[in-house]
Amino acid sequence: MALPDELPRPVETRDLIELFRHQPAPLLAVLHALHDRDGYLSDEVLGEVSKGLRIPLADLFGTVTFYHHFARKPGGKAAPRVCTGPVCCQHGALDLVQKLGATEMPCAGRCDQPVPVLAGDQVLDPHGQPLLSPLPVPNPGGCEECVFAHIREPGRSNLAGYGYEALQKALTMTSQQVLDLVSESGLAGRGGAGFPTGTKWKLVAQAQGYPKTVVCNADEGEPGCFKDRALLDHDPHAVLEGMLIAAHATGASRAFLYLRYEYPHTLRILERALEEARAAGLLGTCEIYLRRGAGAYICGEEGALLNSLEGRHPFPRYRPPFPVTHGFENLPTAVNNVETLASVPPILRNGAAWYRSLGRNGQAGTKLISLSGDIQKPGNYEVPLGLPLRTLLEEWAGGAPEGHTIRAVTMAGLSGGFLGGADLEVTLDEPSIRSRGSFLGAGGIIVFHDGRNMVEAARQAMEFFAHESCGKCFPCRIGTQRLVERLSGEAGPGEKERWVEEVEDLGHTMKALSACGLGMAAPLVTESLNRYFPEDVAAHVGRNA
Amino acid sequence: MTESKLTLDGQQVEFTPGETLYELASRHGKTIPTLCYDPRLEPFGGCRLCAVELEGTKAPVASCTMRATPGMVVRTDSQSLDKLRRTLLEMVASENRELEVDPLRGYASQQLKELVDRYGARTGRFKGRTSGKSHADDNPFILRDYDLCISCYRCVRVCAEQEGDYAISIMNRGFETRITTEFEGKLKDSQCTFCGQCVQTCPTGALADRKALANAKIPGETRKTRTTCAYCGVGCSLDVLSRGDRIVGVHPAMDGPANEGALCIKGQFAFDFVHHPDRLKSPLVRGEDGELHEASWDEALDRAARGLGQVIEEHGRHSVYCIASGRTPSEACYLMGKFVRAGLGTSYIDNCSRA
Ligand SMILES: Cc1cc2nc3c(=O)[nH]c(=O)nc-3n(C[C@H](O)[C@H](O)[C@H](O)COP(=O)(O)O)c2cc1C
Ligand code: SF4
Ligand code: SF4
Ligand code: SF4
Ligand code: FES
Ligand code: FES
Repeated sequence: MALPDELPRPVETRDLIELFRHQPAPLLAVLHALHDRDGYLSDEVLGEVSKGLRIPLADLFGTVTFYHHFARKPGGKAAPRVCTGPVCCQHGALDLVQKLGATEMPCAGRCDQPVPVLAGDQVLDPHGQPLLSPLPVPNPGGCEECVFAHIREPGRSNLAGYGYEALQKALTMTSQQVLDLVSESGLAGRGGAGFPTGTKWKLVAQAQGYPKTVVCNADEGEPGCFKDRALLDHDPHAVLEGMLIAAHATGASRAFLYLRYEYPHTLRILERALEEARAAGLLGTCEIYLRRGAGAYICGEEGALLNSLEGRHPFPRYRPPFPVTHGFENLPTAVNNVETLASVPPILRNGAAWYRSLGRNGQAGTKLISLSGDIQKPGNYEVPLGLPLRTLLEEWAGGAPEGHTIRAVTMAGLSGGFLGGADLEVTLDEPSIRSRGSFLGAGGIIVFHDGRNMVEAARQAMEFFAHESCGKCFPCRIGTQRLVERLSGEAGPGEKERWVEEVEDLGHTMKALSACGLGMAAPLVTESLNRYFPEDVAAHVGRNA
Repeated sequence: MTESKLTLDGQQVEFTPGETLYELASRHGKTIPTLCYDPRLEPFGGCRLCAVELEGTKAPVASCTMRATPGMVVRTDSQSLDKLRRTLLEMVASENRELEVDPLRGYASQQLKELVDRYGARTGRFKGRTSGKSHADDNPFILRDYDLCISCYRCVRVCAEQEGDYAISIMNRGFETRITTEFEGKLKDSQCTFCGQCVQTCPTGALADRKALANAKIPGETRKTRTTCAYCGVGCSLDVLSRGDRIVGVHPAMDGPANEGALCIKGQFAFDFVHHPDRLKSPLVRGEDGELHEASWDEALDRAARGLGQVIEEHGRHSVYCIASGRTPSEACYLMGKFVRAGLGTSYIDNCSRA
């Protein structure tokens, strides 16, 4: 994070702690400043942070080890990390790891680009050239867009090319009028759970306790999802404007944007955009703070995110109570996804009825889909909710690569498991996809062609969940590990019927008893594997018998 | 719907505001299984064994974190819950090096084993890697045998919430999770005060009482005797564990009114003086030869009375100053005060906690 020029150089640990100590959510800011300065976090530095922020050292140490991108050895921050997510593995990521002597990292949110290498604050392609976010392709289906409508306009990411008319309009309205408008639009959360945004904001507005907080969830850690990055890189002011409108509607006086670690370039864009907005006096009564994650998918889950901001061990929180009443520092908080917030300014400008009308089959609005894997034209697409999946895959994105057909797709990144066979005929909306035992969620879709081994795909997916399981609850911590072992053939019955029974028992228990969405969603991978690809399973179990 | 009432296993019951479903059910005699629960700690919701069915929710809910609200319809037992709990226990058993541990390891050390047996979960299903890694830690009190750890975090939470020491914490994530001190060091280099509370709340024996385990070879049945710790005036209740006439260990009394299961290093671990050959068992009086000799209480008290009387006679009653021991309870302190003021006639009395 950029530090103020007036700070004496070389920057002392003491001064850095002092700089953030009086801000809300100081820990991540302090740790990143020190990680940036030294290239790692030494024992000595952690000792000073523990004293300065009054966090017990054992707790601080444990919490730092939770985040896989915080380096604890000199030179660690600059050392290259190669994405070995599901799409990058299709593109030879493992060879690249070997070649560079790099460490592996989970999906880095660039599945539509060459395999990304994160080295310090740079994201490079396999040849060492900087990787920047591509603009969404020109509106491919000719359907009216919402969040992408203006994103391709040159200069859009500068204040001069943006304008905050929606915020100006909102400020002429009462907060109740804004709440009603957002409710009428039918906008629902785009981060995965699909909770109605208007209702969420009303609950925060009504809740007792001040100050209230808005959190923009830009942790985007789901493999196969890279849509929030496109919005933040090319339309940062739309997201900031959405946050400020949310603050006006809910009565919040502080806001955080929590950005995943793997988007260092985006951080610089946001810092500049926020400076512009602040200088133009647009923040009004709501201060916005940028905070950076450090490598932990679970920090996208809202309870874990709030704990992470508060400097606690980033386990999800039990619920109820929900963040709307007991959020940041136990005070009313609206946590919203980037895309959700970016949808708000167009809704204010064009009205609730306009937004509703963008969807099909009674679905309100649009959804960003990050499409990647075995597909001719990977990238981000804004689709009307209710669009047939086939239309997106075949007509908009050119279908499978030459000589192949599409065998399966994932839904919700990896969290929705696979769709295959006749279920590829779904429409892109929750009722349709949920009726097949999956969900649309954040809108990541990874495509697998007819030559792909689906047990291998499932193993990679489950390794991700096992790697990212926070370890708070038993069914997920143990279950993801056991499922990986069964999918890799390392352990488990050598006979298909018993293999399936064990895997289904584990999955059923995880779904029923896990404490958060990660552990509940992970078994959709094995459930759908058994449903659509029993022949792959039989071959796998037979091989390991 | 009446205020503060809900349906528990088909019965209308009243709850107190803020009560969790687990607390409510326990009050009504239900035996919901738990592993991460300790009634003294904040609700956590990690093990998920305490799940109950709640009408209107898709999946069972953790009863230890869910507060009762009017009109809820709750089932604490069903075939489907039974199966879920058994499967979960099979999973937990599969990550553990062993279930059978010496009860001398700690107060709660048999919990996992008892639950696994109650649910018939000793099936050996779900084989795979075990979690946890034992930590060589050469202190005389606490064995850190994390091969048995199931990551319930009761130790970490008791250390923070009850003892206030924050000596231990959780490192890494998922299956790689470990209990640690700062920088993975030894307990003696951490903030640990060796109060032993982590040991006594551990449901697997992964944290074990080394002092007690050293007595594992002493034959005989273990008896428990409720008593009060004699080390200080707080009055912590504890159960002395003995075999024959030997003390083999100490358990804190979870229902002790002064301590609710807490002890300090002295009450918990410092019991071996009882059988020490150097321990004083009768008064010693210094003889003409300048050496200390065993004496009867009468002899010793006479000698003390004479000594005190002599000093007062020679130098006046204010030449005596008495200090009551911090180890004595209030009643004994009162008696001491009485003796000094009424008996010796001086007000020079204090307590070592202040003197
Ligand atoms: C394991 C897990 C990871 C999540 N990751 C994200 C994420 O990266 N970004 C996000 O916006 N929501 C994520 N969510 C959903 C959030 O918990 C929360 O529902 C969302 O941010 C609310 O915003 P919305 O209502 O605008 O969708 C995640 C949920 C789970 C269970
Ligand atoms: S389901 Fe997994 S990620 Fe979620 S709380 Fe449980 S262990 Fe953590
Ligand atoms: S013995 Fe007491 S102070 Fe030490 S780790 Fe255990 S609970 Fe904490
Ligand atoms: S050491 Fe014991 S109390 Fe601590 S987490 Fe492991 S099993 Fe639980
Ligand atoms: S960026 Fe590598 S899989 Fe997503
Ligand atoms: S006792 Fe409720 S989750 Fe462990």
